Amino acid sequence: MGRKTQLAGLTVGVIFLTGASFWAARAYAISQITGQDVIFETFERVDETWLYSDKIGAAAASEVERARVAIGGPLGLSSKEAVYFVSVTDNEGNPLRSNCTYRVSGRPIDTRWWSLALYDSETQHYVPNAQNRSSWNSVSVPRSDTGEWVITVSATPQDEAWLPSQQTPEKAFELMLRVYNPSQTTRAALPQIDLPKVERVSC
Amino acid sequence: MLSRPIVYGALSLALVIAVAVGTPAFVIRQAPMKVMSTIEGRIAGAAGGWNACYHNEVYGPRMEAARRANPDSIISSMAYDLSDGPVRISGVTWPRYWSISFYQQNSDNFFVRNDLELGDPNFTFILLLDGQDTDGLAGEEIISPTAKGIMLIRRFAADNSDMPGILANQKALSCGPA
Repeated sequence: MGRKTQLAGLTVGVIFLTGASFWAARAYAISQITGQDVIFETFERVDETWLYSDKIGAAAASEVERARVAIGGPLGLSSKEAVYFVSVTDNEGNPLRSNCTYRVSGRPIDTRWWSLALYDSETQHYVPNAQNRSSWNSVSVPRSDTGEWVITVSATPQDEAWLPSQQTPEKAFELMLRVYNPSQTTRAALPQIDLPKVERVSC
Repeated sequence: MLSRPIVYGALSLALVIAVAVGTPAFVIRQAPMKVMSTIEGRIAGAAGGWNACYHNEVYGPRMEAARRANPDSIISSMAYDLSDGPVRISGVTWPRYWSISFYQQNSDNFFVRNDLELGDPNFTFILLLDGQDTDGLAGEEIISPTAKGIMLIRRFAADNSDMPGILANQKALSCGPA
C-alpha cells in the first residue's frame, strides 16, 4: 500500500472517530440536562420528602444547574425573591405515584405568599383535569382557626382541597412549594423551615 | 525526531479528545441561551414584536405555559432587544403580590423588585445597556448585561375572582421603546 493511500485511510479514520466522539459527547451532554428529574439532582435534601434549591435564576449556579433549570423550569425567581422546594417522594421516601392518595398537611409558613403546585414528572407540566386545578396557595387553601391546612392529592375526586393527580396509574408526579418574600425568621432558618408533611393514605 | 505517522496520530488523538471534552461543555453552556431565544420568539410573536408586552389573561394552569410554570401567577411578559436604545416599562403594581423581573440571555434573573420594595404603586423603569444615552428619560434605570432578554411581571391571583382587577392592571401597563 502506498504512503498516500495510508494517509487517506488514516484521515478517514480520524474524521469518523471525531464525528463519533462529537455525537456521543453531545448525547451525553443532553442526557445530563434533559432527563426526567435531572433538574433536582443538585437540589439539597432537606428530609425524606423535600428537596431545596437557592440557585434558581442565580449567577452562582453552575453551568449544569443553569441549563437544567432553563430546560425544566425556566424563568424562576432568584432566591432574593422566592425559594423553591420540591417533593418527588412521600414522608417515608416512597416515590409519589398517581395510583396512590396522599394527605399533604401543613402549618402557616411565615412568608408573604406560598403556593403548592403539582406537575407530571414525565411532561414536567400540569396534569390536565376537569377542575382546572393544579395548585393551592396560602390564600385559597381552606384553613383551620389555627391556620393549619390539609390538601388531598388523588386521581379521584375529594370533598375539600383536592389536588388532582394523573388518571393513568403508576405515573410519577412532583409537588413544588414556592415561598415568596419569606420573613427574616423564615429566611434565616432555610431550608429547615416547617415544611408540609406528605403522607401516603392508600394505593 | 518523531516520525510523521506518530505526529499525525498524536494530533488526531488530541483532536478526538478535545471534541469529546469540549462538546458537552459547549452544549451545556449554550442550552440556556437556546431556551431563552425560543421563549423570546414566542413572546415577541404573541405580543406583536420585540419590546412589547404580552398578557396572560386567564387564571389557572395553561398548557401552553412554560414547563413547571406557577398557575397562581398571572404574567405579563416582554422579549426585549436594546440594540436600538432603551425600553420603558411603566404601570401600577398589584397589591396581593406584584414583582418585575429581568432575565439576561443566559437565563440568569439579574434584577427583581416587588411591590413592597417599590412603595409607590406607580412605577417607571428604563431598561438599557451600559453606556446608552438616557438624557430626557425619567424613571429608575436598570442595566441589562445583554442586549436581548426577557421581562416578567407577576401578579398573584388567589382565585378567578381576582381576574377583573388583574385585567384592569394589565391595561395600565405600558411597554415600548423609550
